[in-house]
Amino acid sequence: MALRKRIWSSAPYLLLVISVVPIMVGYLWLLINSFSTRTEGLLPVGELTLNNWSFLLETPFGRGYPSIWRVTLNTFLIASFMTITVVLVSSLAGYALSRLNFPGRRQFLSLTLILHAFPSVTLLIGIFFVLRTLSLYNTLIGVGLVMVGFEMPFGIWLMKGFFDNVSWDMERAALIDGASRLQVWWQIIIPTLKPGIAALAIFAFVSGWNAWLVPKTFTIGAGKQATLSVYLQNFQGDTVAVDWGTVTAVGLFQLIPVALFFIFTQDLLLSIYAGGAKGGS
Amino acid sequence: MDLKLSTERGGIQSPSPVGVPNQSSKVTRLRSKLGAYGFMAPAVVLIVLFFFIPVIILFILSLSDLKSANFGTLQWWLPSNWSLVNYTKIFADRFFSKFLGNTLFYVLTTLALFNFGTALAIALLTTHINRRAGFVFRLMWLLPRLTPSVIYILMWRRIASRVPHGIINQFLGPLGITSGEDLVTALPWLFVIVVNGLIGASFGLVIFSSAIEAIPRDFLRASKVDGGSTLQTIRFIILPMIRWPILFVLTFQTLSLLTSFEQILLLTDGGPGLFRTEVWALRAYHLALSTESGNTQWGYGAAWAVILVIIGIGAAVIYMRVFKFDELVQEPKIDLI
Amino acid sequence: MKVKLENLSKRWGKVVGVEGINLDINDGEFVVFLGPSGCGKTTTLLMVAGIYKPSGGIIRFDGRVVNEVGPKDRNIGMVFQSYALYPHMTVMQNISYPLRLMKTPKSEMIERSQRVADMMGIGELMDRRPAFLSGGQQQRVALGRALVKEPELLLFDEPLSNLDARLRLSMRSEIKRLQIDLGITSIYVTHDQVEAMTMADRIAVMKDGQLHAYDTPTEVYDRPRTLFIARFVGNPPMNITEVDVSQTNGAYHASSEGLELVIPADRGEKAAAKGSVMMGIRPEDIMIDSEGIPGEVFGVEPLGRDHLIDVKIGDIHYYLLVDPSLNLKSGDRVKLGFNTKKCQFFDKKTERSLLWN
Repeated sequence: MALRKRIWSSAPYLLLVISVVPIMVGYLWLLINSFSTRTEGLLPVGELTLNNWSFLLETPFGRGYPSIWRVTLNTFLIASFMTITVVLVSSLAGYALSRLNFPGRRQFLSLTLILHAFPSVTLLIGIFFVLRTLSLYNTLIGVGLVMVGFEMPFGIWLMKGFFDNVSWDMERAALIDGASRLQVWWQIIIPTLKPGIAALAIFAFVSGWNAWLVPKTFTIGAGKQATLSVYLQNFQGDTVAVDWGTVTAVGLFQLIPVALFFIFTQDLLLSIYAGGAKGGS
Repeated sequence: MDLKLSTERGGIQSPSPVGVPNQSSKVTRLRSKLGAYGFMAPAVVLIVLFFFIPVIILFILSLSDLKSANFGTLQWWLPSNWSLVNYTKIFADRFFSKFLGNTLFYVLTTLALFNFGTALAIALLTTHINRRAGFVFRLMWLLPRLTPSVIYILMWRRIASRVPHGIINQFLGPLGITSGEDLVTALPWLFVIVVNGLIGASFGLVIFSSAIEAIPRDFLRASKVDGGSTLQTIRFIILPMIRWPILFVLTFQTLSLLTSFEQILLLTDGGPGLFRTEVWALRAYHLALSTESGNTQWGYGAAWAVILVIIGIGAAVIYMRVFKFDELVQEPKIDLI
Repeated sequence: MKVKLENLSKRWGKVVGVEGINLDINDGEFVVFLGPSGCGKTTTLLMVAGIYKPSGGIIRFDGRVVNEVGPKDRNIGMVFQSYALYPHMTVMQNISYPLRLMKTPKSEMIERSQRVADMMGIGELMDRRPAFLSGGQQQRVALGRALVKEPELLLFDEPLSNLDARLRLSMRSEIKRLQIDLGITSIYVTHDQVEAMTMADRIAVMKDGQLHAYDTPTEVYDRPRTLFIARFVGNPPMNITEVDVSQTNGAYHASSEGLELVIPADRGEKAAAKGSVMMGIRPEDIMIDSEGIPGEVFGVEPLGRDHLIDVKIGDIHYYLLVDPSLNLKSGDRVKLGFNTKKCQFFDKKTERSLLWN
C-alpha cells in the first residue's frame, strides 16, 4: 500500500523527466561536441579538445568568412539597437495609452491589440519593398527596424499593463508638485517600473540576438555576416563540408546571453510570457 | 513651529482673466493633445512603416505580375497593371491540394498533439507536484523557445541524423527500431511536428498553468473530500474552470501555426523531394523571398500571403470581440496632460 | 487664499460625479468635505487640485478663474490617502522634489527641506527610502512634501485612514495645530465624521454628488438639514422613526406604536403641518427615566465607558447610552425619557428637515 502510494506520487515526476529528455539531449550534445574532435551519437570519439574554440582567436571556416568578433559585434549592435528602441518606443506609447486622455486613444489601443495578435511574418514580402524604397535593404539598421516593428505591439501592450498598475495618486502628487507629464514619466514612473522595463529589455535583446529569419531575408552577400544565426546557418547546408566541432562551439557561444537570461531572470521569464499573453503573444 | 513661510507667496503664475474660461483653454487643450501624440509618434511611425504600408503593398503586389524577369520595368503600382490572375493561379496550381493538405495536416496535428495536448498535460503535471519543482520543469520547457532557431534546428538535425552521428540511431538502432538512415528524410512530418510542437507547447503551458494555479485551492480540496479521483477532479473541476484560456490558446495557436514557417524552412526547407512538407506560409516565402531559386515571383507570392493576412486580421478582430480585450481599457484618472 | 466653487459639475459621459456644487472657503479656513464613499468629495477635491477638469462651473482662487490652470501653477500642496511617496527617492529627495522642479538652488533646496522635515519630526530620516518608514513616518513625509513649497492651499484626501487608531488620533491634532499655526487654507476630505467634527471650521456634507449642507460642525450636528445628514453625522447614529405629529389641547404630540411624546411648540408646529413625518432623536437625548415610556431591553453592547443599549418600544428599536453600573441585561424592562427639545423632524418624501430650511 505504502509502496504503491509512493510510486503513484512519483509518477508525475517520472513523466516530466521523460518529457524534458528530448529537449535537453540536444544541449547535452552541443556541449559534448564542442569539446570533442568528433562525436558519434552522444559519445565523443578521440580526445577531448579545445581546438573547436579557436574561432575566438582566429577566423574559422577558412578564408572569405569574417572573424567571429565582427559578426558578434553586428549581432550585439542589432540586439542593443532593438532593446533601446523597443523599450523607449513602447514605454512612451504604453504610457500614453494607459494614462493620457486624447482623441483616438481607444482606437490606438484596439489597433495595438490587433497587431499584437497579428502574424507579422506574413508581411515580409511587403516589408521587402518598404526597405528597398527606404534604401535600408541589406543594412543592419533596416533589419533592426523591422524587428523593432515586429516586437512593438508586444512591448506596448506589456508596458501599458505595467503603467496600468502604477498608482494614480503618485502621478497626481507629482503633477501637484509641479512636474509636467514628460517629467512625471521620466522622473517618477519609469524609475518605479525598473523591473518590468528590465524584463522587456532583456526580452527584446534576446529576440534580437537570436533572430534569423528577418536578417536572413533582408540581407544578402554581406549579410552572410549579419548576425550569428545567419552566419552559423551557412555551415549547416549540404554544400559546405561541415566543421561540426566549430559549429557547435559557435552555437554554444551564441547561447551564452540566452543562458544568462534564463538563469538570472527565471521569475520574470514566466511572468512576462503569462503577462504578455493576456493580450495574446 | 519655526517654519517661516515667506510673506510674499508665489501667486498663480499663469494668470487668466477673471471671468469665464476663454481662448486660453483652446491653446492648453491643443498643447495637451500635441503632448499625447508626441508620446505616440515613434510607435505610430513604426506601425505605419512596418504594418500599414506593407499590408497595402502586399495587396497591390498580389494584383500585379511582378517577378524578377520584369522587375524594374513593370509598373506594378499602376491600377492598369492589376488583375486577379494570381488568385485564380493559386487554385489552379498543380500542387494546390498538396499545399492545402500539408497545411491542414501540419496545423491540426501539431495543435492537437503539442500546442494543446502536451501543453495541457505538462501544465496539469507541473501544477500537481511541488511548486518549485513544477516551476523548474516549466522553465525547461521554455528553453526551445528561447534558443536561436538555427541552433535549435542544428541540434535536431544531429539528433535525427544517420548512423554513426545520429543520437536516436545510437540508442534505438541496436534495438532494431530504426535502421540507421537519416530520420528527417525518412520521417519528415514526424520531425516537423515534434520540432515545432516542442516550441509551441510552452505557450499553452504557461497560460494553462497560471490559470490552473489561479483556481482557488478550496475547489480542489472540496473535490477530494467529495471522493473525486485525480482524473475526475481534472475532468469536472479544472477543465471547466480553464475553458476560456483553452479557447484562447486553441485559436491563438491555430493562427500562429498557420503563419509560422521558420523552423520548417530550416529543417526540411519544404522537402524532402517535391513539396513533401511545404506549407502555405512557406510557399509564399519561397515564391517571393527565397533568393536561392533565382526566379522570384513577388506578385504571385504576395497573393499566397494575402490570404494568410486576411485570415490573420479576421482572427485578430475576433479575439478582440470574443475575449473582450477592449474591456481592459480603463479611463485615465487624470484629465490634464 | 480664498476658494470659491460656482455651480461646479463633473460628468464622465452619462455618469455624474459631482453636480452643481456652490461653496465659499475663506482665507485660512479649514473645510472638511464629509460623505460616504462615492459621494463625489474626492472628485471635487481633484478638480480644485487641477487634476480633473470640471465639466461645468467655475473654480476661483482669490477671485481668479483657475479652471484652465494646471496643478503646478495653482500653488497647492496635497496629501494622499496612500501617501503617494516616490518609492525610488529618499525622504530628502521626496520632500525636495517640488523645489527641484522649481529649479531652486541646491543649497536652498536642502535647507528648506531639512527645515520642513525637522518641523515634521522626521529630520533624522532624510536618507531613508519610504519602504523603510512606518505608516506614521510616511504620512509625515507626505505632509512635508506638501508643505515645502509653501502652498497657499492644502488639500488632504483621507490622509489618516491608513493609520492605526492611536496614530490617527495624534496625527489628527497635529495636522490641525499645524494648519492653525501656518494659517494655510485647507480642504480635507474624509468619510469619518469624528475627524470632520473635531477638525473642521466648516463641514461640507456631500452625498451622490450633491452638497447637502455647508456649515460649522455644531450646526451640522444640532441642525441637520436632511435625513441623510442626521443619519450620517453622530456616533452612535441618530434614532429615526416614523411618527404622527398632531396638535391637541394646545400641545403638540408625536405618536407612534407605544410611544407618545409631548413636543415643544416651536418644533411641533412645523412638524404638525405635515402630520406623518420622520422623527430623529440622538442616543444621548434618550435616558432611563422612571417616569418615562416602558420598553424592553433587546440588546446590550458594552463600549467601555458606556453601554449602548437597544430598547424595544412596540416594534421599534431605540438606541441609547447608559451607565454600565446599571447592569442592564436583555429582557429587562426599563422606562425611557426623551429630551424632546432636541427632536428633529423630516419630511418623509423629500427627506429634508422641517425645522431648518
